Amino acid sequence: MATVVTAEHFSNLQLLLKAPSKDAVREVCVQSHQGPSRIFTENTAAKFNISPSQAAQLVESLHTLSRHVVFHNLTSPEQILALFPESFHSSLKNLITKILLENSATWRTEALSNQISLPQLKEMDWRVDLVTSSESVSRMAVPTCLLQLKMEDTRCRHDEAVSTVTMELSRESLDTMLDGLGRIRDQLSVVAGK
Amino acid sequence: SWEPLPHWDSARWCDLCEALCLQLVDIQWKLGMAVSSDTCRSLNCPYVMVMLKVADPSGQICQKSFEMTIPQFQNLHSHFKDIAAVMETV
Repeated sequence: MATVVTAEHFSNLQLLLKAPSKDAVREVCVQSHQGPSRIFTENTAAKFNISPSQAAQLVESLHTLSRHVVFHNLTSPEQILALFPESFHSSLKNLITKILLENSATWRTEALSNQISLPQLKEMDWRVDLVTSSESVSRMAVPTCLLQLKMEDTRCRHDEAVSTVTMELSRESLDTMLDGLGRIRDQLSVVAGK
Repeated sequence: SWEPLPHWDSARWCDLCEALCLQLVDIQWKLGMAVSSDTCRSLNCPYVMVMLKVADPSGQICQKSFEMTIPQFQNLHSHFKDIAAVMETV
């Protein structure tokens, strides 16, 4: 969760100099953004010929740096280069900056879609029926809407993620709904205009 | 409680709805702007939050809240306009 990048983090980043290739640097930067994993840390240690604890520190430092870039929405090379200490290896600094810039837009989009939120509306299905009679009225023609909304909470476990709500709407309820949605639309126009 | 249905099955769903006789009784909504979060310091992200209250024949009320992005909201609005048009002509 920390977004402060310390001198110690940058010191750990110099372990990237042991990478077998630029692609290896790219791979570890991108993977580290997702967070630590034991298998990934072990693979990195083997690939870079460093100890597992060094690999863990490297991953954590890259994770902190990439999260910082996303949090502050750093989008220019100058903004990212400015984070590094003066003494940092120049070519490595340029490579890391390039990799962060290549990925930051994707990471920001991911962050936006993984925000805390209530379940999101995913699908809506409906049907209009004509009620022609009931136990109290023998002949009538009353339209009624059957509605099903499907919601998804992407932050839940897969089997708990999707829920549905099913209901019947009278004409009056529909009008109230439309009135409310119209007001939201009007407010959106006001907000968009600002 | 909300029962997840495995897929959209029109006839079965209609039976379920009739059996449950759940009526929409209240709608509350909020238009909000997400300004910041733990992952992004500066957001400019409008969203719509809706709370539906549904009653069964005994009068017991259940409520369900959900959010929509603006495109999802526009899709929802479009669906409801379609429903109104159909109910008008039926």
